[in-house]
Amino acid sequence: MLSEPVINFQTVWKKYSKQQVMNSSLREEFVAMITGKKCRQELSEGEFWALKDISFLVNKGECIGLSGPNGSGKSTILKLISNVTYPTKGTIKVKGRVAPLIELGAGMHPDLTGTENIYMNGTILGLSISEIKQKIDDIVLFSGLDDFINVPVKKYSSGMFLRLAFSIAVHSPADIFLFDEVLAVGDEEFQSRCFERIESIREQEGTILVVSHDYTALERICDRIVTIDHGLVVGGEQ
Amino acid sequence: MIRRLYLYKDLLLVFIWREFLIRYKQTAIGILWAILQPVSLMLLFSFIFGVVLQTTQKNYSYTLFYFAGVLPWTFFSGAANFAVTSLSCNFNLVTKIYFPREIIPLSGVAINFIDYLIGLLLYFVMLAIYKVPLTWNFLWLLPLLAMLVVYTTSVCLLLAALNVYYRDVKLATTFIIQFLFFATPVIYSIDAVDNRWKMLLFLNPLTFIVENMRRVTIEGRAIVLWQLGLELLGIIVLYIIIYRIFIRIERAFADVI
Repeated sequence: MLSEPVINFQTVWKKYSKQQVMNSSLREEFVAMITGKKCRQELSEGEFWALKDISFLVNKGECIGLSGPNGSGKSTILKLISNVTYPTKGTIKVKGRVAPLIELGAGMHPDLTGTENIYMNGTILGLSISEIKQKIDDIVLFSGLDDFINVPVKKYSSGMFLRLAFSIAVHSPADIFLFDEVLAVGDEEFQSRCFERIESIREQEGTILVVSHDYTALERICDRIVTIDHGLVVGGEQ
Repeated sequence: MIRRLYLYKDLLLVFIWREFLIRYKQTAIGILWAILQPVSLMLLFSFIFGVVLQTTQKNYSYTLFYFAGVLPWTFFSGAANFAVTSLSCNFNLVTKIYFPREIIPLSGVAINFIDYLIGLLLYFVMLAIYKVPLTWNFLWLLPLLAMLVVYTTSVCLLLAALNVYYRDVKLATTFIIQFLFFATPVIYSIDAVDNRWKMLLFLNPLTFIVENMRRVTIEGRAIVLWQLGLELLGIIVLYIIIYRIFIRIERAFADVI
């Protein structure tokens, strides 16, 4: 396989604040806007580094697992890749369309029906309206919810809700897929269909990043696993 | 802004459609709500100021007078009220997925604009019933509408962005909107105001817009051009400043919210 890097992290640092009211950050932004200088990069009181000096490369078509305990910075990495937040220091280069599956069902509204939510969630994940019209039958079929698709999702069970969300997500035409703890979705039959789907994404040269603390599940599907602890890469990256 | 949003035009459309659906889901009278609010305000003002207090504003029907003022006001206050909490309530989207953040407050402006257009249709019907003669000055309504939308958008972006940082904004907005209601000639006409205070009231762009909407439709008079130029300049500069601030602080929304 051609090793063409699609995600490139170079010495990325990210700080977060523990404080509730972030008035200092707004003031800083204004000062930076007027003086044209960059924002302060050092830590001040009540702040901590969520990521410290992270560097890694992901090549096209690879499947990478990110593992580590809670609060180690795994989800922060996904957020940085999907452009939701920005690094304090360092650079990140991402090539291609990203399907951010950071959490399933973000953007679903309880009062809307299954079909309406497919449009809503699909466009959030970067599909166009015409793409959804083409794929809607596949999405419904994959979720196995044809009987309930015109019912408001507030009446769904939590398993049905997640199945619908996952079906929308895996039908996105993105080049890079980010999965955050979504392997525990649905019953066994649905899970095996998910693994099949991941395989077919890989056959189409899609790049996948999976976040989980379930190391064995990661070993089953990933090419390599990067372990992170307290914002530092502690293992797995050669 | 247009270039930035073009890539996400489908998302904006779906957002507008979603807000529209949510708004009228599980309601008994649905879209009628769009005209119920301005019409009831119109009736209330007509009753209080026309019948009870016996004030005369102009030489034409006071129902028409109040309705012309209530419509743009309902649009502005509705959009602003929606915008304040729009980003902070959708935090599960903002912290998880990237898209231009202005889409959420903008969808609020859009659905309130749809309601406004429905109200305008009713307004035209009323103009016909009251046999108000239409003149070419009527066309001034279009630039006034554009100014109203741009000004409302600026205010909405600012409120939505600030509320991400300080929830005080949400509490202050209720009060500010009430305050602005009296600073806008909805229940009075600027013509009746002493010259000393006129300049002060014209600092509020809504004063110019609301007053002239009445003037060009009901009274058939033209706009004073130098006033238009000045207000237009103010609205555009305000928009550019606010939009630049928004783009700048948007980057940090996910961390702060």
